[in-house]
Amino acid sequence: MSYQTVRITRGRGGWGDGLTLTPTADKDVVLSVTNGGIHPVAARIAELSGSTAVDGFVNHVDDDRVLCAVINCGGTARIGVYPRKRIPTVDIYPGSPSGPLAQFITEDIFVSAVGVDQVAVVAERELAYAGEREGGHVADGGSSTGRPSTGGGSRSGSLLGGGSSAPPAFKPVAAGGGFTGVVVKFGGGIGYVINSLLAAGRQALQLTLQTIIPFMAYVSLLIGIVTYTGVSNWIAKVVSPMVGNPIGLVLLGIITAIPVLSPILGPGAAIAQVIGVLMGTQIATGALAVQYALPTLFAIDGQVGCDFVPVGLSLGEAKPETVAVGVPAVLFSRLITSPIAVIIAYLAGFLVA
Amino acid sequence: MNPLLLAVTNPPTVGATNPIMKALTWFATHFIGLFNASAKSFTGLITGILPLLIVLLTAMYAVTTWIGEERVTGAVRWSGKYAVTRYTIMPILSMIMLTNPMAYTFGRFLPERYKPAFYDSAVSFCHPVTSFFPHANAGEIFVWAGVSAGVLKVNPNAFAKLAVLYFIVGIVVIFIRGVVTQWITTLLIRRGSYKEVFAQFDLAYAEGHIQGDLA
Repeated sequence: MSYQTVRITRGRGGWGDGLTLTPTADKDVVLSVTNGGIHPVAARIAELSGSTAVDGFVNHVDDDRVLCAVINCGGTARIGVYPRKRIPTVDIYPGSPSGPLAQFITEDIFVSAVGVDQVAVVAERELAYAGEREGGHVADGGSSTGRPSTGGGSRSGSLLGGGSSAPPAFKPVAAGGGFTGVVVKFGGGIGYVINSLLAAGRQALQLTLQTIIPFMAYVSLLIGIVTYTGVSNWIAKVVSPMVGNPIGLVLLGIITAIPVLSPILGPGAAIAQVIGVLMGTQIATGALAVQYALPTLFAIDGQVGCDFVPVGLSLGEAKPETVAVGVPAVLFSRLITSPIAVIIAYLAGFLVA
Repeated sequence: MNPLLLAVTNPPTVGATNPIMKALTWFATHFIGLFNASAKSFTGLITGILPLLIVLLTAMYAVTTWIGEERVTGAVRWSGKYAVTRYTIMPILSMIMLTNPMAYTFGRFLPERYKPAFYDSAVSFCHPVTSFFPHANAGEIFVWAGVSAGVLKVNPNAFAKLAVLYFIVGIVVIFIRGVVTQWITTLLIRRGSYKEVFAQFDLAYAEGHIQGDLA
């Protein structure tokens, strides 16, 4: 018998650093707690690692024997049960720590949004084991017994040595036959939609809590100070005449795009955001006409991303030479395109009002 | 007259007489006034923008999960071939699917000489995109949300038009920006000492050496 190390990574929208699992003789069960037979992902893990996939709804397996649990839960219960027992958990759905057991769901033991494609044998191990496996087959060919295939999954891997370590036989479960299969599939589809929506909601709120509300608090404080002390009137007096006429707008567009200034004005779009909110209040009071909203948006944004050019380029895996050429190219290009953008937006602005 | 009675009939106007108390009273009133003004503005942001933003973000995250990055990658690679799509469809798809700042990673499918122009084009879309897809750059939503909140208050009918126009003008602008930056990049390559290096890059690209190819 031969076990192989498998690597399970998170899928799109998933969570966790991924799991690397190696079965042993005492720990060779992939527990599929997905209802409706053995899930293809569980079958795949079992097939690649050389362990056995077992339907957790039909069979009871001691926790000690479980290599990993495959679940389909984006909610609260199952998602935390196995991590709590420190059993590596593979979630089919894009779940992330939540529910009453959220504290137990950690990156080292939980991975989500896993499909069949996210399961792979660890490459070098594969080579190392290949020879060993060949030899093994010849040596104890008689004692190896192929287990009945469970749910069409664990075929090649589920060779078990005879003798003392033989585990109790598990009931093979036919996955997806006839009406039950349709119902299970339908339920699975609904479950996927609901769970991905739930995960999306969680993601949205996480972003709201971590990024948006703190920014709102900071902007509010700044605006409170600025309006209460009357500085806003002062800024409005300076900026409004500029954004209130086309020449001033173009001028503002050029100023924000000046190659020396633009990288300073850029970071986090903080300045553009504060001025954006201030101009919004000016429009709200009627001090600034609605048709100037659109050109203003472009005039205050001539510097967008100018602080980020080398990082952005390296994200696109650009060569050092490209970065050396690209930074001045982007900065100088802005001097031309920023006023053009303002003019286009100014003309289009008449369509708004 | 009884001094106590005097105090009752004439309530103490301490601040008016004592300059120190006057300053303290002034400070106290304005100190809390300052934060009251801030709190008011905070309430406005929370009730005005947040609920819509949260449901929109939820919907967008779900949709991007369903569509998936892999499926978009094919479309993005195709759109990188022609200048017209390279500075319109490619940055739009990248921004909506991968969001800021991961959108710039799609630059890896392009020849080196087009990468600066693609970055410029993509990054310039990261605020116009928020008028319809706030999830793409939610941390910098206030460039759009700030200005548009004013418009919403004065003329609610103009809000939708402003959103559409911001998005469309954004597309026009990123196209112009891409073309101009590509032109300047080409100029800089020709003028500078990088001519041979980039000729080699082009050759390598033609042979199919794409950095970080997903295959």
